[in-house]
Amino acid sequence: MRVSGAGPGIRGTKQIGPYTVVTRLDAGVPVHTPVSEHRFIARSADGDRTVVVSRPLAGVDPRRFMAEAEASRYLLGSWVLPAVELAASGEQPWHARPYLPALPLPVALTVHGGPLPESTVRALAVALAENLAVIHGQSLTHAGLCPSAVLIAADGPRLTCFGAVRAAAPDGVARQEAPGLDPGSLPPEQAAGGQPRPMGDVYALGATLAYAATGYSMPEREELPTSLRSLITRCLSRDPAHRPQLIEIVDELAGSPESDAPAGFAAPTRADALLGPGWLPARLVAAIVHQSASVLAGEVQFPVQAQAPVHESWAPGGAPSGAPEPRRTH
Amino acid sequence: MPTPLTHDDPVALGPYRLIARLGSGGMGTVYVARSAGGRTVALKTMHAAIATDPAARTRFRLEADAARVIGDRFGARVMDADPLAETPWLATEYVLGPPLDEAVEAGGTLPEQSVRALGAALCSALGQLHGSDVVHRDLKPSNILLTAYGPKVIDFGIARVIGDEWLTRAGAAVGTPAFMSPEQATGQEHDAAGDVFALAGVLVYAATGRGPFGNGQAADLLYRVRYADADLAGVPVALAPLLAQCLAKDPGQRPTTAQLAAQLHDGTGEFAEHLPHELLAEIARRAADVWRLVPQRLPAPAAGPETAAATAAAARRPSRRRFLVVGGALAAGAAAGGGAWWWQGRADARGGGGTTEKGGAPRTRNIKPLWTYTFSAVLSDEMGSVVPQSLGGIIVVAGAGAEAVSATNGVGVWDGNGRSEERSWQTLVTGGRLYRLWIGEETDDGIGSAVRLQILDPKNGKTIKTLVRFAGTNDELPTHQLLCITDRVAYVVVGKGKDDGTGTFSAGETDTLSAADIETGKLLWSKPLPVRFETSSRLHFLAAKTVGSRLVTLQQSENGTVHVVVWAASTGAVVWKQPYDVDDPDILRCEIAADSDHLYLGGSRLWALRLSDGAVTWKTSTERAYGPPVLRAGILYAVGDNAGLTAVDARSGKALWTERGGEVGEASTSGPPILGTRYAYYKNGSLLRAVSLSDHTTALTYQTSGKQFYADSDAKLVLAVDGAGMTAYPLQ
Repeated sequence: MRVSGAGPGIRGTKQIGPYTVVTRLDAGVPVHTPVSEHRFIARSADGDRTVVVSRPLAGVDPRRFMAEAEASRYLLGSWVLPAVELAASGEQPWHARPYLPALPLPVALTVHGGPLPESTVRALAVALAENLAVIHGQSLTHAGLCPSAVLIAADGPRLTCFGAVRAAAPDGVARQEAPGLDPGSLPPEQAAGGQPRPMGDVYALGATLAYAATGYSMPEREELPTSLRSLITRCLSRDPAHRPQLIEIVDELAGSPESDAPAGFAAPTRADALLGPGWLPARLVAAIVHQSASVLAGEVQFPVQAQAPVHESWAPGGAPSGAPEPRRTH
Repeated sequence: MPTPLTHDDPVALGPYRLIARLGSGGMGTVYVARSAGGRTVALKTMHAAIATDPAARTRFRLEADAARVIGDRFGARVMDADPLAETPWLATEYVLGPPLDEAVEAGGTLPEQSVRALGAALCSALGQLHGSDVVHRDLKPSNILLTAYGPKVIDFGIARVIGDEWLTRAGAAVGTPAFMSPEQATGQEHDAAGDVFALAGVLVYAATGRGPFGNGQAADLLYRVRYADADLAGVPVALAPLLAQCLAKDPGQRPTTAQLAAQLHDGTGEFAEHLPHELLAEIARRAADVWRLVPQRLPAPAAGPETAAATAAAARRPSRRRFLVVGGALAAGAAAGGGAWWWQGRADARGGGGTTEKGGAPRTRNIKPLWTYTFSAVLSDEMGSVVPQSLGGIIVVAGAGAEAVSATNGVGVWDGNGRSEERSWQTLVTGGRLYRLWIGEETDDGIGSAVRLQILDPKNGKTIKTLVRFAGTNDELPTHQLLCITDRVAYVVVGKGKDDGTGTFSAGETDTLSAADIETGKLLWSKPLPVRFETSSRLHFLAAKTVGSRLVTLQQSENGTVHVVVWAASTGAVVWKQPYDVDDPDILRCEIAADSDHLYLGGSRLWALRLSDGAVTWKTSTERAYGPPVLRAGILYAVGDNAGLTAVDARSGKALWTERGGEVGEASTSGPPILGTRYAYYKNGSLLRAVSLSDHTTALTYQTSGKQFYADSDAKLVLAVDGAGMTAYPLQ
């Protein structure tokens, strides 16, 4: 005799490449906040690997999307999620990277109930600026940074959506109407069709930090916390030449390098000193852990044969129980 | 932390495929398992042999029922169960959070705010149980998991329906003395009020790191539970009267769970907001780590040697109680300065890397050592290892006693064993000085005086200067450790409390990891360490080293599990902590290999852990065991089981080369190789093997009986230490 407990039931199946979708990553992102790709938490058929898998939005050229995914495989730095697996040519486009529990920045604001504390924004700023500097050092431009491109994990941010601006429309074509781009995070020169360059990432960083600190990527100057106001405003200069260098951002926000480090040794990155326990509000840490528990407990029906796709939605935050009941939206 | 499946674990139970082991005990095993739909669960089993007893099987079924009664919020959600299977099993939610005892051991006691929130939530949990006429009967720190959303009560192994006579008899002997109610201790009815008593004990533990009746033998504990007042020292003042009321001997005097909850907490805020940041970070780390779990199964072990070794280890239980003098040589004073010695072929051996025999070619195999020195006393004990430290041509060997030897000829220089006042030696050479942490002679009252950090004269072993006095500590406790000294800061383990003369940890002893400025003598910070059982012989740390602004330690817990714990050197805050799975913790007693951003560990497989967060940058497969590595110029050198000396690129974890041409079946992985400029040395079978760093073949072999090997880079010696003495070989 087997006694079956109450638990989330077998859910419908959506298949992307070899993966079966467990839930959407971006459920809970407010509708006015664009996401430049469809992102899902999905599982391999043996159940042993869980990944974040991305698909292009409608209207994005699949070849451009896959070219950016291919380039993102080589991204370095602690705070990026490079693609590790790509659709074969001829297949529907997708790319995947290992799952780790993390909330898109807009969801983090929703869970927190408003703008994030200044210390959290500061830590995000230093981590993202340091990692963008690494990427620029690889002779790459991220060109996709916006609030939804930043995932918040318990140990720090993870940057995704590499090359979203280039994928959305080729250089020379105005991008104001291009799919999935956050108007507030799109540097004016790229909106006008210019080729994305490193200083455009500084603009997008400013817009993303403004979002974290106020809830808007195009805030009024007065809404910004005074300690970040001047720096973020400079990042958002229309003229790239007036934007600060990434190292200036790090220096201004991280303060002098850790004073207790004996000569000859330095912390691996300046962001590490800001990302210690307590960097993120407790409620957000709880929501991230909650996502992990939900995905662990989630069951999917692996396809035996092709089945009609059914979208599943999973809401972060929620009731303070161990593993919440997933919510069905379709 | 999950460990791989063993060869005889089943593939699946019911519809669940087993992935890893979470733990094992006398009753059964708990696994990580996955359903066909990919749901990850904790799967608890009962051994089939035990399940043949109908009473045990019934209790297993009741546990599943009780777990359902407590519900998803305050318990681990029951997913599925089959109490009638040959091996009964119960599948529950995989809970992300440490048990309370682990959390306190690793991160220290909880602040009042956390204790209150925890207490209120546990009241609700118990209220839920009691409302359904179920009592837990074994509430204790290890049965409470701390999640980001509140505690979850698990292990209802002896929970029962109130008034169930038959199971009362079946379960009469169970319970945990330290948290048992007086009525349970006397075999009477333990009802809801008994759970309140246990709950208060749990909260005392959370606030102070120990139960309200201390530790010790079950019989003593039960006596104290029944007759002694609860020890509430260290409990926040505002909580003490309330907890004292809960710990009343008369169940009728104790508050109900609802009354207690109302006095503990007003219910504002989320549970996570009441937790210390470090604990919440630990919970988050577990929530991320579970995604790194890869199904693994160990091969069947070769029969024989392993069990023999285990038996031998169990039989050997020496105490740290002073040292034992061998053969009376000390009293006779025959060998001036103590210790007998031999000096063999030194000049030849030094010259060319091989001794010459009868005018022939230089000998390259089975070469005799430069010199051998026999200890005048037994320096080794169960708790630590005997470590040679070299300064100015004198090698000081310290353990349960200390002796000093000339590096040039192995002649004894001085012998600290005869000094009655010194009990055990913790020495360290760094920056051209020999330091010693004083551990004094045991006295009748066991109270002692403050532990001192001193500079010793290597020429005679006498104290030159006392640098730091650790006020309030007891120098008689033999469990102190001198971990490392960097940039004028000494990191030590010092203990308070009365020495009970067992030569191991004492009842009531509390230890701290402390940092002190050796120039000013000031204590910089002090962090509580887990309380050890009395008679435990596991020192807190196996190895420690500062890297940049961090103190990296290999910390050992009571049950022998090892964690890599990284502390902020300036504040003592735990930066991160990772469980480290190793078969034999003792082989980790050596220098930790590290560069500015990674730690490299061996012991089972080779691992590179990122210093910033403990993330695993790379690791070798489980198929081959490696001893601890040594790092030089971006290359790790380690001894692989059945592979011998192996060089690995530290950045990528790719093997660069493995020694060639030699028999490697007896390569010893119980220590790091010793690096010279031309050769790397390690023990293979009964020989010390020197492998050429240029052509990767065995160049020389030496006779050795050594167990541990150390480099003396000053005197250019490889030093081999075993229970009886020390042997020296040229380090080239």
